[in-house]
Amino acid sequence: MNLDYTSSELMAVAGARELEDHQVVAVGLGLPVVATFLAKLTHAPNMTILFELGVIDPEPIATGVGLADPRVWYRAKVLSDFVDILGAIVHKGRVDVGFLGGLEVDLYGNVNTTLVGDPRGKFRHMTGSGGANDIASSAHKTILIMRHETRKLKQAVSFITSPGYVDGGDGRRRAGLLGDPSRVITDKAIFGFDPTTKQMTLLSIHPNTTLEEVLQNMGFAPRVPEHVPFTEPPTAEQLRLIREQIDPGGMYLG
Amino acid sequence: MTKLTTLADAVASIPSGSHVALSGFAITRCNMAFAREVIRQGINRLTLSQCVGAMEADLLVGAGAVDHYIYGGGSLDRFGRLAWVNRGIEDGTLVAEEYSSLSIAFRYLAGSLGLPFIPIRSLAASDLMKRLQEQDASQIATINDPFTGDQWLALKPLLPDVSIVQVQVADAEGNAWIAGPRWDNAEQVRASKRAIVIAEEIVSTEVIRREPERTVIPGFLVSHVVELPFGAHPTSVYRCYDYDAEQIEAYVEAQKTRESFRAYLDRYVYGVKDHWEYLERVGGMKRLSTLRADSILGY
Repeated sequence: MNLDYTSSELMAVAGARELEDHQVVAVGLGLPVVATFLAKLTHAPNMTILFELGVIDPEPIATGVGLADPRVWYRAKVLSDFVDILGAIVHKGRVDVGFLGGLEVDLYGNVNTTLVGDPRGKFRHMTGSGGANDIASSAHKTILIMRHETRKLKQAVSFITSPGYVDGGDGRRRAGLLGDPSRVITDKAIFGFDPTTKQMTLLSIHPNTTLEEVLQNMGFAPRVPEHVPFTEPPTAEQLRLIREQIDPGGMYLG
Repeated sequence: MTKLTTLADAVASIPSGSHVALSGFAITRCNMAFAREVIRQGINRLTLSQCVGAMEADLLVGAGAVDHYIYGGGSLDRFGRLAWVNRGIEDGTLVAEEYSSLSIAFRYLAGSLGLPFIPIRSLAASDLMKRLQEQDASQIATINDPFTGDQWLALKPLLPDVSIVQVQVADAEGNAWIAGPRWDNAEQVRASKRAIVIAEEIVSTEVIRREPERTVIPGFLVSHVVELPFGAHPTSVYRCYDYDAEQIEAYVEAQKTRESFRAYLDRYVYGVKDHWEYLERVGGMKRLSTLRADSILGY
């Protein structure tokens, strides 16, 4: 087994570590799927996995091209609908962790998946919300996984598709939203949020990077504590599960 | 009473300017044969709605059949974008009301229950909400819970003129089974004035009566039933056939320019007389039989 790992593998492992056994987890496609299945195969066998369109606890044996691919519904315990998953589970407040990807995120964890550019001028329209806004509005905790680039980690996002802490402080509660953004996992670092100001706070930087590199590739200055540890690297067993069982074709991590 | 008819006849019942709810989700159970027939018949100025934007809507927008699209965001999964929907939004030629998946599902649910509005937590503090209010301030309101005084967003019901629903099995009355996840389809059909069922297979009502718990759509809500094998091609139908990756890739390639898309329409829509000629054009039974689902896997 080659113990050298890619930044995507490290992100998936870091994401898996944030999940606990017995949690109910609503998952968006891509790296969050790899992280969630990794947690389920290791320390969280009793986790409940939800896909928005009506899928509970699938056990895929092939990698799908998206949530619309029956490959990712294989061996599900329940196949139902939006009102069941996004309504009676997510909106009802039964989801412990919402696990999402994003195009852009700001200082307060507000996420954009709608457009790139100037919404009042020239822009490129992208996927939009799907169930992401619903999950970010009602899950107890939200974890975001995305690439670490200045154009993606922005002081203000071009469009708030899924709200985080809104304008900081108690802005999220004033808007009537449940739960809180909890982590932002990038290919260089892991962030949390300051309990009072709700600004993004550096928790750890990944091995093989430096604090300067992390900060230089951001569009805003996060809070940086005096001591910043390195993120724990993947174990051999985690790498084996990702490469041999969860994503053997390298669809998500290739 | 039999409602069995041809695709052309069912499509001809839809006047230009109608609000049509679509059953597709990205690249699965999309109303593809339906969309191709709408384009051939020149029906236009449509309003389309669905929880997650899908391939049939992009084809209809690209062909110029759509004025207004109410959806919760969408893509062709890893194959690509809803390029015509996106371009329409970028250049302002398509009026798009963009929500989240659940807010559209709740609007159908309110419509299905005959409720005047439905409260929701989603959309609050988002630019989705701000943009919807700027487009048409009458679409979203805030209300106070009459019991606690808490403030909520309230959405209007969606009441489509007709739902088009791609299913695996139906009888001649329109009693229909959907295998696999149903996303918004049950609420769409109940919110709409009527439904058109497009089934991979027609069975006798006696077959339906033996397993009625599988029925998602009751026949009395259905105006037309069409038997149409591979009606969702090149998208998948769970337990019937897989998506046709080559044909979806050909579509994504054709999305690149107006000219390449026109050539695609000429080849696969205008250049064939009906669905049967389309199936021959994409390779006939030799090709289609390779897409058949495995009975254990469902794909």
